[in-house]
Amino acid sequence: MLTNDELERYDRQIIMKGFGEAGQEKLKRAKVVVAGSGGLGSPAAIYLAAAGVGTIRVIDHDEVELGNLNRQILHWDRDLSRSKVDSAAEKLSQLNPGVRIEPVAETINEDNISSLVTGFDAIVDAMDNFPTRYLLNRAAIENNIPFVHGAVYGLEGRAMTVIPGKTACLRCVYRGLPPEEKFPVIGVTPAVIGSIQATEVIKHIVGIGKLLVNRLLVYDGLNMKFTLLDVKRNPDCEHCGRPAGGGRQ
Amino acid sequence: MSVKINIPSYLQSFTNDSEVIEVDGSTIHECLNHLIKKFPEIGDKVFAKDGELHNYVTIYVDGEFAYQEQLVKPVEDGTELHLLYVLGGG
Repeated sequence: MLTNDELERYDRQIIMKGFGEAGQEKLKRAKVVVAGSGGLGSPAAIYLAAAGVGTIRVIDHDEVELGNLNRQILHWDRDLSRSKVDSAAEKLSQLNPGVRIEPVAETINEDNISSLVTGFDAIVDAMDNFPTRYLLNRAAIENNIPFVHGAVYGLEGRAMTVIPGKTACLRCVYRGLPPEEKFPVIGVTPAVIGSIQATEVIKHIVGIGKLLVNRLLVYDGLNMKFTLLDVKRNPDCEHCGRPAGGGRQ
Repeated sequence: MSVKINIPSYLQSFTNDSEVIEVDGSTIHECLNHLIKKFPEIGDKVFAKDGELHNYVTIYVDGEFAYQEQLVKPVEDGTELHLLYVLGGG
């Protein structure tokens, strides 16, 4: 049941076709993990909080550094050296006090991943490294939680949604790790991709539209092009392949 | 066969900033080899020393994902390839 304040706060989205008060109530009950509160995690968490997602768990072990501030818009100059999740929780709670923010200042690893995501309705991949992305992808599949991948480099970005057991997963598409380097990026790129990730989560929870599944979105900001590439589920995928193929599912 | 290869912005510095390169070849592998013949510096960005694609490079043929073993498959005139790199940034 929505309160009068909530009906007013979310009025503009409640009147969207297919959304309604029922959609808003779904968002209110939803629990979403945002893994990373950097360039991607900032816009993703901001828009999920603004939309009224009931519980948002933000996971990040880092502290705010000066070199983060060109893109990680949840963190401001006054937050330097502060825990990123504390900085994020403060801003998100001020943006929307009706949303429960769970800051988790931990490094995601094989031992804690399941406990960090169990019971949640969606996972936003807002990491800055691929080993953790693969961990999240596998945990999402094992726990049957939709997973929304995003990644950036310079003015280029990617996004893809994974519905475990039904659609291609991150490991179906990628096998290796990108070369290790300090990646170039400007804030507008993760702003685009993080917003797309939040869009996917909201659509999934509310049950509207067509998800970005079995398709990889390639965003080229330099030439302002969006390209959709078809991806297939790999029967021999290490993460989501069928048992006959040596997989876990 | 004339084939277009879309180059990710990450690699465009190796193709004189060109976004699309037109190559000839009857298989995906031949097309990639022609790309490397035109722009030799891109070679070790695409293939590992063992001659296999780097495991962080993926190829799409007319918008569809292609596995490593499909590199030997024939391509038709007008085929469009996308050469993608795994992006790690967030």
